[in-house]
Amino acid sequence: MKYILIIEDEILIQQSLKKLLERKGAKVDVSASGKMAIDLILTNNYDRIICDLMLQDISGFDVIEESKKRYSTEDIGKKFVIMTAYNSPQVLSRANSYQCKLLNKPFDNLDEALKIMTE
Amino acid sequence: MENRSYSPNQTTSKLLAIHIDPQILNDIPEGTIDSSIFRSVPANEAQFILLKKKSRIWVQLPDGEFCDYPYYVKNISKLLETFKFYSLTNNSSMEAFQSFIKSTQVIEKKIFSNVSMGPGENVKDLWDEIIKKVNNISAQSHSLKGLVEKILEVPFLQNFQTSLIILHLKGQTKAELMGTMWRSERVHSLIEVKEFNSCFNTIRKSKIKSFTTDSFSKLNLPFNGSFLAKEVISKKYSLIAIVSRHDFLNYGTDEIELFETCIDLLQPHFERLIDQEFSDKKISELRVCLKDFPLPLRIRDSQSGSSFMNDLFNDELQDQDIFFNKKIKGPFSLDLYDSDELRHYAFDLFHFQRISLLGELLNTLRHELSNPLFGLKLSSQIFSTLDVNSDDKELMAEIEKNVDRCQAIIENFSNLYQIQPDNQPVLLKKMIDESLVLAKSEIREVSKKINYSNGTESIQLHVPLIFVVQVLFNLIVNSAQAMRSQTQRAELSINMSIFENHVIIDISDNGPGIPDDKLINLFKPFFTTKSQGTGLGLVLSRNLTQRMGGNLEYVINPHHKGACFRVSLPIS
Repeated sequence: MKYILIIEDEILIQQSLKKLLERKGAKVDVSASGKMAIDLILTNNYDRIICDLMLQDISGFDVIEESKKRYSTEDIGKKFVIMTAYNSPQVLSRANSYQCKLLNKPFDNLDEALKIMTE
Repeated sequence: MENRSYSPNQTTSKLLAIHIDPQILNDIPEGTIDSSIFRSVPANEAQFILLKKKSRIWVQLPDGEFCDYPYYVKNISKLLETFKFYSLTNNSSMEAFQSFIKSTQVIEKKIFSNVSMGPGENVKDLWDEIIKKVNNISAQSHSLKGLVEKILEVPFLQNFQTSLIILHLKGQTKAELMGTMWRSERVHSLIEVKEFNSCFNTIRKSKIKSFTTDSFSKLNLPFNGSFLAKEVISKKYSLIAIVSRHDFLNYGTDEIELFETCIDLLQPHFERLIDQEFSDKKISELRVCLKDFPLPLRIRDSQSGSSFMNDLFNDELQDQDIFFNKKIKGPFSLDLYDSDELRHYAFDLFHFQRISLLGELLNTLRHELSNPLFGLKLSSQIFSTLDVNSDDKELMAEIEKNVDRCQAIIENFSNLYQIQPDNQPVLLKKMIDESLVLAKSEIREVSKKINYSNGTESIQLHVPLIFVVQVLFNLIVNSAQAMRSQTQRAELSINMSIFENHVIIDISDNGPGIPDDKLINLFKPFFTTKSQGTGLGLVLSRNLTQRMGGNLEYVINPHHKGACFRVSLPIS
């Protein structure tokens, strides 16, 4: 069973994703705040972390940077899935520098997006 | 000098130790004085000190004696050269100085020998007179031409008939000859810069400064005979000054000396007048520009109370018509007056600002709305998979569809304000369909007739989809709004056809049409008949179609009631 953390401050998205992923058989934690998410990442052992970039307190990139305390760059590339509605070239190149998967909001195809999150 | 057997060391020790007033050094251009002809030392070690006092050079000896000479650069160099000569040929510096004084007085007398001296007059008075005269004519001359003519008033030049200068401003392709002949006839001509330069160099290298017109045939001087010439060089120009008696006799060294001195003295005045005429020329060029400025304007000088107006300014303009006022510099301020043209320019600017603001707002709106819409979509998708009855499922599907529509509208609108260099061909039909989707709410009760002819249904265009959609959307909404209050059933028809390598899209309605008197302003910015209109729709639309290589026109059809707009777009 996959253990997944969703970091997303839009509650409707957060809860819907939680439900959808739980249906796929995953165990899901959620966080609307970046700082709280960092605590969770440093405490729990997630298989996958789905992270929105635009949070209320800090940015998703800050969360990834903080996670380096626990995970190697290689781990980060495997664990994190970045979600964003702002796919500017700067965001894209920074996301690429972490080697992690990127999902554009809204998802073009829900099933594929869920597959990426759970695989 | 070769037959003299001084060793370099002896030469140095024999050279006079002279201190030159820093003020003199400031006045003389670099390279004018050969510094190897004297030893420059501090004042307390000097055998002689050269001082500047008003218009004279003073030579100060260690025992306090003074002797004065008219102050000009040539005199300073001559003094120093003479110093050197006598210090090398005499045993003591005092002896050298005595010989020097004697010799320079002889030179001075020789210079003035051809000038009549009245009783009681001496050489110094004559120098003074010349300097006074030169200063006088310089002060009286307000133009370069005037100064050139007045050179002949200098006492020793009274036998001369012609005074000319050839002026070359740096960077110009021609040099300008100007001056006076026979003391009355004004002459003016242009000379190729190549000829000017070769003459200038010949004169510069010559030690005698006396020439004949034969040797300068390329200059085409307006007289024949011998003449005196002296070159003047400055940062901005080079100049040859010429005087002639119109005869073939040679000039005496005294005349040559005096002429050179005179030109040396005049150099700062040449400089001043050339500068002034330069800037006069610039000002008159500026005036021409301002006169042609396409808006009425006035520049006021609050100090003198005078003002400059351009051609469009007229007396009917009042202070309250001032649209824009700005202090320029010093006492000057600029007034721009209200006019149709100004409104046109200003509104272009306001328009641009509004559009870019709108673009920013839409971008923010898109990002702010996208997230909640995405949330709605995801949650409705969850419901659609739940085990609920089909009615509820349909309802959920409807929510999802509407969310998609909202998303599409937001995307479309914000895309309208981004220029995408998208050269992908797009189906004309897709353009029409997208426009109709966007205008859906406006045309709800309008009957639509969409007609593709000449195979236009499957035609693809290499123009940005968003541009076309914006134009068509504008026209469709305009039509719908025009037909809103009519009792008869509103009808919108869109007809596609092909004409001369262009797709023609005619959008017509059965509304009230556009009255003849409004047609003239139809495509003018901010012209609108709607109470809430911006007056921008048609201007923008025409602008967009023209950018795509097409056009937007109003079609006047007396047999058709209602309005008809025609969009043409290039096929390839």
